[in-house]
Amino acid sequence: MADTAIKVHVQDLHKSYGNTEVLKGLNLDVKNNEVVCMIGPSGSGKSTFLRCLTDLEVPSKGQIVINGYDLSDAKTNIDLVRENIGMVFQHFNLFPNMNVLQNITLAPIQLKKMTPAKAEKTARDLLDQVGLADKATALPTALSGGQQQRVAIARALAMHPKIMLFDEPTSALDPEMVGDVLDVMKQLARDGMTMIVVTHEMGFAKEVADRVVFMADGLIRESGAPKDIFEHPQNPRLQDFLNKVINV
Amino acid sequence: MKKWQVAVVLCLAAIGSWFGLTAHAQAAEYTIATDTTFAPFEFQVKGGQYKGIDIDLLKAIAKKEHFTYQLKALSFNAAVQQLSANQVDGVIAGMNITPAREVTFDFSKPYYTSGVVMAVAKDSTVKNFNDLKGKTVALKTGTAGAAYGKSIQNKYGFKIKYFNDSNTMYNDVKVGNSSACFEDYPVMSYGIKNGIPLKIISKQHNAGDYGFAVKKGKNAALLKKFNAGLAAIKADGTYQKIINKYLHSKESKITGETASSRTFFGLFSQNLGTLGKGLWMTIELTVISIILATLLGLLLGVLGVMPGKIGPAISSTIIYIFRGMPLMVLAFFIYIGIPDLIGHGFKIPAFIAGMITLMLNEGAYTGAFVKGGFQAVDAGQMEAARSLGLPYWKAMRKVVMPQGIRIMIPSFINQFIITLKDTSILSVIGIVELTQTGTLIIARNFEGFKIWLMIAIIYLIIITLLTWLSNWVQRRIN
Repeated sequence: MADTAIKVHVQDLHKSYGNTEVLKGLNLDVKNNEVVCMIGPSGSGKSTFLRCLTDLEVPSKGQIVINGYDLSDAKTNIDLVRENIGMVFQHFNLFPNMNVLQNITLAPIQLKKMTPAKAEKTARDLLDQVGLADKATALPTALSGGQQQRVAIARALAMHPKIMLFDEPTSALDPEMVGDVLDVMKQLARDGMTMIVVTHEMGFAKEVADRVVFMADGLIRESGAPKDIFEHPQNPRLQDFLNKVINV
Repeated sequence: MKKWQVAVVLCLAAIGSWFGLTAHAQAAEYTIATDTTFAPFEFQVKGGQYKGIDIDLLKAIAKKEHFTYQLKALSFNAAVQQLSANQVDGVIAGMNITPAREVTFDFSKPYYTSGVVMAVAKDSTVKNFNDLKGKTVALKTGTAGAAYGKSIQNKYGFKIKYFNDSNTMYNDVKVGNSSACFEDYPVMSYGIKNGIPLKIISKQHNAGDYGFAVKKGKNAALLKKFNAGLAAIKADGTYQKIINKYLHSKESKITGETASSRTFFGLFSQNLGTLGKGLWMTIELTVISIILATLLGLLLGVLGVMPGKIGPAISSTIIYIFRGMPLMVLAFFIYIGIPDLIGHGFKIPAFIAGMITLMLNEGAYTGAFVKGGFQAVDAGQMEAARSLGLPYWKAMRKVVMPQGIRIMIPSFINQFIITLKDTSILSVIGIVELTQTGTLIIARNFEGFKIWLMIAIIYLIIITLLTWLSNWVQRRIN
């Protein structure tokens, strides 16, 4: 599969739960190496959108092409698609029955048929990268929230994904833990990783994002460079949202 | 091989070798069922052997007529049901020849004539049938005594309580729950001679003939041999010798027991072999059933949490059926109902039927808590595993199952203990496990309190050991 300039192509994406329509026709393209931050009030559909990209939620209608795979095509092997996507959850979702190393090496050993020794070497490099080299044999329950989230990022990176998706990665963290996690994400962005980040960290969005997308009520209301979004918001809902966030 | 694979192979090997043994043991030409407690016609003596008029007659006849048979001791009811379900070839159990029975069975020539008597507790004020008004009468299901009692119930206005074996019926009269019982004369008189604290207060009613039965239209050859053999042993005096031996002697002469062996420890050491056999059967049933039920339960649990609708629907239905059905009904259904339905002489050995019963019932319970355990694992775990690209089954096996099983361990231990106790219910289909062993010993010596105490203690010891083992395993896992 050629490394196309467009990593993610979303067209007319709808998602309903019963009679409630959560996504009402989204269109979005994400280019290679691009960092997109998605902001918006709670319940606007940001997380649902992100989960649709890895088929954790199945869209009601619309097309998603990610890393060249068309998710609506029945012949697409979803497991293969997911191997190439790194997903980071709000609540980390580390496997409590495994230590840090085992968490990180599980997928490479199982799916990439990597030898345990080689997988462990990669895992230790990644732990070094996220600043947790000394926690290799710790159990997840022995780590702080910030440390757990950094392990979760390392776990996702171990599969060498072509794109990373972050679903409110710092929302469940104590304020003093947020910085370490954001630092890791900033480094990833600098290294050229394509990223979609659902976040409430406006500072991070301003500093790191190539593009900020504002969602409200299941639709993208405004999208543009951080400078334009934060300094010259056009949409009244965005103006309202920013006022509330900044006045907190 | 991994540990669990070794376990599965060992388990299959055990079951396989067991089947082999059974097949070997069934080399006899005929399977003939008898009652478990109907002294002096049949009762178990020290060492687990059966003796009695029926048993000795059958043995003498078989010898004369050169046929081999395997004796199967069941409750009278089960024996009769199995004969009509073609599970056994014949029944000799002090069975009265009645027109109703002749509809489904062919009987031999009568080999004994007896009548029904009423017996009451030694200190009872009941003197005749008229005194029974408003009182309760104990009857044993399917017997001539029961038929007679039922026939005069309206006339004398008493209530009826049914039992499955004689000994429990006698005890009910002895402790005063019932005021009287109806029983065949030789049986009652033999029992009283050997220590049952009852007395006979009526003459013999409705004298009837005992016959050996086969299913109607089947086994004509066996019936012919029985008749010929009966005539032969009557002619050469063997018949009278057998009758005299049982009707004119005390039980101790036959079983070799002495009065001094009636203490708790005396009884214990005397019955050690029999109890050990029963205990071993209980353990064997428990272990095999636990393994099979756990495998079934895991399967049902996994099906229950599978995506889609079909897996969970199958799982819930199976759990609903087998958890909702009383174990005893299920046991009867499998042991007697299924062969009856299939016909063509299809038979299920009692042990196999018992094993299947426990597997289905305990497996359903296990399935329910396994499903619950998997559901208790945070949904984010499955999502995280799938997001890494792990296929569903791999995610299940590597991530969800290990966590779920840890949650389930206390439920598993509980279920193992319940399974052990539930094996006792299988005594109803004639499996001589620990509980049935107790029934049989008591049928012979009437020491209800001491023997049941012994059995209870043995169960408690085993359950304590099982609990220790489980706790040790639990500590190792955590």
